[in-house]
Amino acid sequence: MAEAHKILATIKTALEAGERQQYLDLANNHAPVVPPTRRVPIAGPEHRAELATSLARELELVGGKFAGIVSPAELSNRIVTLAREIGAKVIAIGEGASLDMDAIGEALERADIKVVKAVPVADSERLTMREQIANADLGIAEAEYGIASTGTLAVISTETRPGSLTLLPTASLIIVQIDRVVHDLAAMLAAHGPARLIEHRLTLITGPSRTADIEKRIVLGVHGPKALHVIVVWPRDE
Amino acid sequence: MAASPKGDFFDSSRAAVQDRELQRKLESASTRHLDHFAIVKAEFPLYEAEKDAAHRIKTDAIAHLDELLIQLTDKLHANGCKVFFAENAEQARKYIVDLAKAKGATRVVKGKSMTTEEIELNPAFKAAGIDPVETDLGEYIVQLRGEGPSHIITPAIHLSKEDIGHLFTEQFGIEYTSEPEKLTAEARQRLRAIFLTADFGITGVNFAIAETGTLIVVENEGNGRLSSSMPDTFVAIMGIEKVIPRLADLSHFLEILARTATGQKLTTYTSFISGPRREGELDGPREMHVVILDNGRSAMLADPVLREALNCIRCGACLNVCPIYRRIGGHAYKSVYPGPIGSIVSPNLFGSAAGYLPFASTLCGACKDICPVKINIPRILLHLRWKETEGERPLKWPAALEGARAGARRFAGIARHPRTIRMLGRLAAQMLKPFAHNGYLRRMPSPFSNWTKYRNFPRPHPHKRRPASSEVREP
Ligand code: SF4
Repeated sequence: MAEAHKILATIKTALEAGERQQYLDLANNHAPVVPPTRRVPIAGPEHRAELATSLARELELVGGKFAGIVSPAELSNRIVTLAREIGAKVIAIGEGASLDMDAIGEALERADIKVVKAVPVADSERLTMREQIANADLGIAEAEYGIASTGTLAVISTETRPGSLTLLPTASLIIVQIDRVVHDLAAMLAAHGPARLIEHRLTLITGPSRTADIEKRIVLGVHGPKALHVIVVWPRDE
Repeated sequence: MAASPKGDFFDSSRAAVQDRELQRKLESASTRHLDHFAIVKAEFPLYEAEKDAAHRIKTDAIAHLDELLIQLTDKLHANGCKVFFAENAEQARKYIVDLAKAKGATRVVKGKSMTTEEIELNPAFKAAGIDPVETDLGEYIVQLRGEGPSHIITPAIHLSKEDIGHLFTEQFGIEYTSEPEKLTAEARQRLRAIFLTADFGITGVNFAIAETGTLIVVENEGNGRLSSSMPDTFVAIMGIEKVIPRLADLSHFLEILARTATGQKLTTYTSFISGPRREGELDGPREMHVVILDNGRSAMLADPVLREALNCIRCGACLNVCPIYRRIGGHAYKSVYPGPIGSIVSPNLFGSAAGYLPFASTLCGACKDICPVKINIPRILLHLRWKETEGERPLKWPAALEGARAGARRFAGIARHPRTIRMLGRLAAQMLKPFAHNGYLRRMPSPFSNWTKYRNFPRPHPHKRRPASSEVREP
């Protein structure tokens, strides 16, 4: 801690030596820090079609795959079809934020797909659980939010929904409820809020893992998933 | 790998200027970034407003740095992190290496971090018998070559796919291929095996939110996520200037950072890490340490002109637009931080060995125009030039340049006398005629030879009349 005090004291002196007041004036002289006007506040139902369209378009622009808008009742079937399309034999899932992931797991098993379920683990079981998830062809997770303007999905990591689900399997499927899709990053962060941010690790995902480190050629799946599929759930009655 | 002994910059830049192949690679890479940037900027009407907001928030944050760091530390402690303030590179290195030793680590996985390059962490690990593995693909490649990164965003920008193909054949004994897809797959497979069992991880930090004690790491590959969530012990290292006040401030930076850096709207992954994993969680470290590094930054803070450079969010755009960088590439700067912003921070972080760098600029202002946090880079470079020549610790130039500088001073003396200079001009035009090629002098006779050692001189024209000093108006 001695270093901390010493450095903080140095910083304080440095700020004073640099005429802090003058600098503060400079900072304050501009109008106070106000976020630029946001185009759409947190979306009302009338914006949903627009938001879903934008999310899908932006997702595809970053190399993601939009797997459609489905009703809650159609969700399991859509996932089974997708799993077949990409030839997934082992699928890792966790608990949903709002969705019944057990029902999805059962539907997959009925279709002869092996399901690995993430559960809370003791320290000694971590490596085994991680191996299992890493060996899955597809990991499924529900997002907390979708961000329409950038095609981003926001996921949190908990003991029943580890971040590994969207990181280790060969491909990733993220499901988001339509009422969780917001216009932009600022709206998403405001909705999430500081308290929940401290509670769980949050990850914003915008497309599949990618690199452009070799002659600027974009290659997907350098460390994380090679493909990112997204399904939007939209209740029929709306 | 940090600032090398003086003189090197002159040699390395002279060699790099001749390297047409290097320039081809730099041109194509920087042009691509800039083209993408132009497109996303045009599609985003709020770009200027966000840039403004980011500039203000950062200026304000730097002016309150002491208070924000105290708040950040308190929050990090409350979230279960250990915080260590390092005054210099040595202290930071020692803390991290000792920690790795105490944990019995034999290997360390590293996400991309310029700060660990700055403190020369890898050699310290190696000396302690610990193997540091760079996991960002570009960093991995340059590490295999035994080099440092040559760009702060794209470390292997100076290499062609063929270079990398040969490197992989040599290092791994695999069949030669220059296909980026295959080379990437090879690296993925090798690094994945390391990640799954890694027990010590390190990454840098892009922003730290004081309000919540949250560290933000942005990246495209996923290696930052892996490095911070697989190992049992995780160390994040950040400069003191990375702190911002509130969660609500963050979007302004993220909305401009990726756009300016690579022409993406957002990077693929943005991780918000507040503390170690909780009971029952699969991901995240059991122990999380945050190293907050000064290493010369508070000295920059004390200088009201230089202070502005601490606003930098390391987007790398000023490198992409810089005519000098595009000519000589990152390695020639002989400093961890190349390009315009590097020329500002290097002398302050690494001392006078990098003091020549502020002179390696045409002051064209392209960096200032593109900088997303509006740093007036040319102004700071001029300020540093002044400091390096007239200040407390004037630079010692290589003998040849010292001669040129003495010549320039003498010329300045003569130039005050309009009649003399006109006469000398006519004389010079006659005398130098035989040395000219295509209107330029590549070599001049002694005592002017030192001048042409570094640049060509336009041939003086006998009929061109220079205005007398009394006729010259201030620009
Ligand atoms: S000085 Fe500005 S342009 Fe250069 S890296 Fe920093 S933020 Fe980017």
